[in-house]
Amino acid sequence: MAAYLIRRLLSMIPVLIGITIISFGVMKLAPGKPTDVMLDFNPKASVEARERMEQLLGLNQPIHIQYLTWLRRVATLNFDRSFRDGRPVTEIVVERLPITLTINVCALVLILGLAIPLGVIAAVRPGGLFDRATTVLVFIGYSTPAFWLGLLGIAWLGVALGWVPVSGLHSLDAESMSLVGRALDAAHHLVLPVGIMTFVGLAGLSRYARSSMVEVLRQDYIRTARAKGLPERLVLFRHGLRNALLPIVTILGLSLPDLIAGSVVMETVFAIPGMGRLFYDAVMARDQHIVMALVTIGAVLTLLGNLLADAAYAAADPRIRVGKSHA
Amino acid sequence: MRESRLVVAGGLALGLLAVIAILAPWIAPYDPLAVSLPEALLPPSPAHWVGTDPLGRDVLARLMYGARISLVIGVIAVGVAVVIGTMVGLVAGYVGGRVDSVLMRVVDTMLAFPSIFLLLAVIAMLSPNIYNIMVVIGLTSWMGVARLVRAEVLSLKEREFILAARAIGASTWRIMWRHVLPNVTAPVLVAATLGVGGAILTESVLSYLGLGVQPPTPSWGNILNEGRVALGVAWWLTLSPGVCILVTVLAFNLLGEGLRERFLK
Repeated sequence: MAAYLIRRLLSMIPVLIGITIISFGVMKLAPGKPTDVMLDFNPKASVEARERMEQLLGLNQPIHIQYLTWLRRVATLNFDRSFRDGRPVTEIVVERLPITLTINVCALVLILGLAIPLGVIAAVRPGGLFDRATTVLVFIGYSTPAFWLGLLGIAWLGVALGWVPVSGLHSLDAESMSLVGRALDAAHHLVLPVGIMTFVGLAGLSRYARSSMVEVLRQDYIRTARAKGLPERLVLFRHGLRNALLPIVTILGLSLPDLIAGSVVMETVFAIPGMGRLFYDAVMARDQHIVMALVTIGAVLTLLGNLLADAAYAAADPRIRVGKSHA
Repeated sequence: MRESRLVVAGGLALGLLAVIAILAPWIAPYDPLAVSLPEALLPPSPAHWVGTDPLGRDVLARLMYGARISLVIGVIAVGVAVVIGTMVGLVAGYVGGRVDSVLMRVVDTMLAFPSIFLLLAVIAMLSPNIYNIMVVIGLTSWMGVARLVRAEVLSLKEREFILAARAIGASTWRIMWRHVLPNVTAPVLVAATLGVGGAILTESVLSYLGLGVQPPTPSWGNILNEGRVALGVAWWLTLSPGVCILVTVLAFNLLGEGLRERFLK
């Protein structure tokens, strides 16, 4: 197991380097220099002041030196300061991260809780009525823009019926509420965004759970289990689902970038002050340090998600540990 | 039987859509850019089938012109992705060795980025216009095709007809072009069809976020963005572009899934 993990970690190094190069490169695409944004509106900024500023930010150095300087700082989780309010980027991100994590964890738990049973029931009778009905739903889920569902939800459930709040995370009078009251208030605000993220995420995962289960139910040991007279319930859950769950763990790790992407859209539509909204605002304001930090963090999180999934898979299935890692 | 019905349904819907998109200048009831403030936010009526927007422009006409933008962006973005992905996959699979490792690490790296992060960051830095959108969507979505092609090439490489071609002295280039490439077209075509749906969804998100197709040019995404100001009032502005996106993407997904069942099973 340790050998497998070490091999897996080593294979991440080139990818990590690639991630930092791309994150850095994206920022250098921007025409002009960050100093333009800082100094253009300041009539007192002289040519000398501009040069001093560039020197201070290291912008007059060759690009590979700039990259290495940046990399050295990033390695210590220092992403410099925001252009807009001058606060350290790490501080801002840490402030926003819990909100996004909470939303994603809620959505993920709901997705898993719904997708696996849906997939299993569909797999028991492939081509049956339930299977066909869920297939239709899956196709619709795949094809629906999540932000549009958000807008419809706001218009109908929020504005027309007034059942749910339409934006933000807290009511205006949240300050005066008790702790429990505030938690309930936040939960009320999150019903719609989390519900929509769940619906959209459900499509892929339930499809995957179904095909994984169909595959397992074809195996010889399932026939054996049935032949020795085990009740169908035990065949399905003890012999079937346990084995079918393995590939689902992997796909979960792979779906992390989709969840992060979903946060950008959902937090923008619902004005939730999480990391996704932070990213959108930073992009619109060309706040390069924040954008660079979030692009890097997003990719590294994805990488860690994959690693975690692979480790879980290897822990559960000895064949993976022994065999060669995928090329 | 079932899969051919999927192909027919998806194909018919897309054919109809393509006809509407091509004929938009002749069949659209109004000029999609004609502002008429006295007619702002009219609900659907015989004069304006899908109502009007906050500037009094006819929504149906804007949806028809929006279909052109969505289809063109979707198809060209996937074209870019297919060309890059096929080349990378072919070379990685056929040449193998160190070249393969390097190319696959590049694929892993690109896959690690949540695509919307790269898309938004790059487009914001470059300035949003239709050409940048198409190219950047293509540049962030070729990795699936590359992996697919590579896997196909790896298994084709062991087959006898490749060995035979090599035995009679065909060059590497000729083998790749004449013997390997034709054999990967079916899976690539399926992936491309499914990919167009994804690219259209991506374009709508970008345009909704204001970093896609810029007003006044109509696209389904930016009609939704403009409808936001009248969200509780003008339901037709929010409902209609979303239905267009949903139906179009669904049609591409059905067609792609149908083709997959037909050719790859």
